[in-house]
Amino acid sequence: MRSELHKKLSYTILTLPAVLIYASMIVFPVLVSLILSFTKWSGFGTPSFIGLQNYITMFKDPVFLHGLRNNALIILGSLFIQIPFGFLLAYLLYRRLVNHRDFFEAMIFLPVSISAIVVAILWNQIFSPAGLFTSLIRMVLHDPRFVFPIFENKTWAISPVLVVIIWMYTGIYMIIFLANLQKISPSIIEAAIIDGARESQILFHIIAPSMIHVIFTTTIFAISGSLKSFDLIFAMTGGGPAHYTEVIAIYMYYHTFKYYKYGFGSAVSIVIVFLSLGLISMLQYIHAKLEKHYHA
Amino acid sequence: MHEKPDHSPIKTHFVQHKTPTWHVVVAYSILGMFTFLTIAPLIWMSYTSFKPNKQIIQNIFSLPHSLFLDNYIIAWQRGNLGVAMFNSFFYSFLATFITTFLALSTGYGLTKFPYKKFSAFFYSFFIMGLLISVHSILVPLFVMETTLNIDNTRIGILIPYIGFGLPFSIYLAVSYIRDIPKEVEDAARIDGAGYLVTFTRIIIPMSLPVTTTMIIFSFLANWNDFIFVFILISKEALRSLPVSLNAFAGGRSRDLGLLFAALVIATIPIILFYVIFRKHIVRGFAAGSIKG
Amino acid sequence: MRKHITFFLFFMCSSFLLTAAGSKESQGAQSDSKVTLTVFHYLDKADGNAVKSFERMKTMFAQQYPDIMLQWEFLTNEPYHNKLQAMSVSDQLPDLMYLWPGKRTGQVTSNAKVKDLRPWLKGHENEFLPATLASQGDNGEIWELPQTLTATHVMFVNTKLLKELGLSMAKTFDELIAQGNTIRKAGYIPIAMDNKDGWEMQSCLLSVLVERTGGKEWILKAARGEASFQDIEFVNALEVIDTLSRNKMFSPGINQAEYGRALSDFVNQKAVYFIDGGWRTSSLVSELDPSLYDAIEFSVIPDLPSQKGQSCSSSIVAGTGFGMNAKLSMEKANAAWKWIWFYSGMEGSKIRQEQGMLTSYKLPPKESLPLLQKKLSLFLENTPGGYVIDAVLDAEAMGILQPLLQEMMFGNITPQDAAKKFEEYIAQNFRKK
Repeated sequence: MRSELHKKLSYTILTLPAVLIYASMIVFPVLVSLILSFTKWSGFGTPSFIGLQNYITMFKDPVFLHGLRNNALIILGSLFIQIPFGFLLAYLLYRRLVNHRDFFEAMIFLPVSISAIVVAILWNQIFSPAGLFTSLIRMVLHDPRFVFPIFENKTWAISPVLVVIIWMYTGIYMIIFLANLQKISPSIIEAAIIDGARESQILFHIIAPSMIHVIFTTTIFAISGSLKSFDLIFAMTGGGPAHYTEVIAIYMYYHTFKYYKYGFGSAVSIVIVFLSLGLISMLQYIHAKLEKHYHA
Repeated sequence: MHEKPDHSPIKTHFVQHKTPTWHVVVAYSILGMFTFLTIAPLIWMSYTSFKPNKQIIQNIFSLPHSLFLDNYIIAWQRGNLGVAMFNSFFYSFLATFITTFLALSTGYGLTKFPYKKFSAFFYSFFIMGLLISVHSILVPLFVMETTLNIDNTRIGILIPYIGFGLPFSIYLAVSYIRDIPKEVEDAARIDGAGYLVTFTRIIIPMSLPVTTTMIIFSFLANWNDFIFVFILISKEALRSLPVSLNAFAGGRSRDLGLLFAALVIATIPIILFYVIFRKHIVRGFAAGSIKG
Repeated sequence: MRKHITFFLFFMCSSFLLTAAGSKESQGAQSDSKVTLTVFHYLDKADGNAVKSFERMKTMFAQQYPDIMLQWEFLTNEPYHNKLQAMSVSDQLPDLMYLWPGKRTGQVTSNAKVKDLRPWLKGHENEFLPATLASQGDNGEIWELPQTLTATHVMFVNTKLLKELGLSMAKTFDELIAQGNTIRKAGYIPIAMDNKDGWEMQSCLLSVLVERTGGKEWILKAARGEASFQDIEFVNALEVIDTLSRNKMFSPGINQAEYGRALSDFVNQKAVYFIDGGWRTSSLVSELDPSLYDAIEFSVIPDLPSQKGQSCSSSIVAGTGFGMNAKLSMEKANAAWKWIWFYSGMEGSKIRQEQGMLTSYKLPPKESLPLLQKKLSLFLENTPGGYVIDAVLDAEAMGILQPLLQEMMFGNITPQDAAKKFEEYIAQNFRKK
């Protein structure tokens, strides 16, 4: 018979391994980072406690602020380009507007599976001063000294990076939306068509409302991914030139691993965590409000 | 709402009505452009890998005169890519397997047991992990591993992979298992099964769709990981593919032919994986594993 | 029920055991006569030449000293430095490690984690080129035995191209700029250089310019606070780069160009002048058409109008080499020294000389050396040197200076602005360390 002990034991066995591994790999190091963030430590001797100094320095650093701005742009790009675009693509495929759906679906998801390093290397081989596309433009313009000026522009240097991010990750959102679209009962759509509904009406009145929750979930992933973004940008530009494409995760990397300021680097990572938490909490608040509104 | 989910790849029962031509044109253009942007670089990368470096520099666009296989042979040997590929497989498979298994067991524990307060706490605990970027914990992690002497070991890579893979997998598992009807469990219990038996005999088989999704995401993430192996491993025999690939990149080896050959070698497994498992990816998603 | 618990535990254990099977071999095993040392080496496996000569050294050493077992680990670039730093932090430094003379590996060398090699070097000092044994520590310590002397500034010249264009080697700075027009019109690059990573401009050009405008000791004074980076000397140096940039003397998109692009351009005869470090010589040997060897000149940037430093100087720094862990016992230390001496002393130097490296250990020049290597030797012997900035200031300072240089080249800030910002940083941070 099921005894309380049996229940407790089973619960423990089922959950404990994961909890232990997770705690040791993530929780414990994060706590260490938190503590370190209030210290100054270059790896030698003992860390010296300096209170909030790291945070103050960080928020006064124009490089950090520019990085934060880049992150904000990436978040905006994810939210307002990737997610809608992913939805659009899913919609196009779902509504059978084209043949060869499987093929297109495969093509759109493909970039997601390629390693960021490969993408970055390929990108550089195409757009760098000696790259494929640059050579093409040089031939067309008869200007052997042509290079893409956008990479050297403080305000806009992040846009090519954004384009690549969109290219790489839209596929995920497309798949998520596609899967959820397919859960909509076809009969509803058929009924609407029979009733003479136009495409846009179907979209806005039937499909969109049932997607709200998915959009919410994907938004959370988009935000957390944007704040963590590192691999691709680092391999593409290293944050340069002159910090123009730097994001806060790269900023943290340099200060921790190149300048050996562990206390400061830890503070930056804690800020990343709290920013994510903050944005997501805000989202949840909005979501709760919306739900109340619609279910009232 | 509880219709049997449709497991076949995209299909619709729509009455085919006349779609305005311009809709179709726009659709094809968008999809076509995306496809072009995806395929063109890959094709260029592939055929360029068959040219010796001199030829590439002379004319970056041209097709190869003949199949110059030296690039592949040298890249394979010099980058130790065979070993790297084995390691990538090893790390990815094992970590994925363990992560998925643990995620399922934890998902079951968190959703089907009456310890609500504990479960809610642990769940948030895991979800927080989605917000943590690797770099924030890299230094403490490195110091920890070197102190315990597990740096430069296979297990020193597996444990972080599992630790970092758990949040997302547990999120998926919890969403899915939560919806497994109580009746199923009760039936098992009546038959005298304990919790653990229920887990293995009932929950796991019923979770196949979400398991597929978990495996795919987990595998992709682990395969493409760079930073962990980069920092925690220095022995060449234990390196994974992305890290070995990095040795060719960044202008360090200016033989572009070698570089491209290495890129192709690194990309092929993932494309194969993708081709083989594509149907499952779609099926997994379609079965409602990412819940709306 | 019990069966299932057992199964779970068994499963967990076996998974971990399986993986533990791939775990670290035991280190530092010592049998009666053998001494085992762990070595952390900097080696780029993609560099065929370097790998070959390293293998030879390894074999020769093993033959000569069968009682010393070396256990190797390799990395290059950032990973090497990250790992070294991490090992240093967690007190897990290997017995032997590859070090830089200056701040590059300062974390390890300026914190008494390696032994001073002077006791072992006693009596051998004259066997090395003078600049080799420049003091590395505050009290004259030598932490690593440099294997070579490195000039970080060499202006390679393709005299064949020059002749074709009806020009000759620029003797003054203004002449160099004037040549730019002719060169560009003919479709060539005046001065090939890359600067995507930022260090290239600092190390390969700014360093020598600072020596020229302020004299050799100026950078040391500025580091100490006896001079300011806003002084005219530093501003002049920056203005040189600014002038070159505005006159389109550099490779197009220099700040987007990955390191190695300029070398390829020069080797493919697309550029007349090429600025990089002396270490590029071996690549030139293997990639240049041999018929060009004669036509390549090893020069420096011409003297500047308001020059206070040595005429036609370069920026030279002692090279890298091995150092040993401060914690080694006497027995292990002596064994470690054997490797250090082998590598940077006569034996290793002979092998590396054949690979084309100019060794800090004085060796008679080999007749069979490629012409370009001989030219490099002559260059190093005859060119006066100044310091390299990143050997004097630290990584964070470079992280401020290098982006400023890039911004200046984009035209977003003036040389004066850049100088001001850098001085502010140094005054508030570096000098206080």
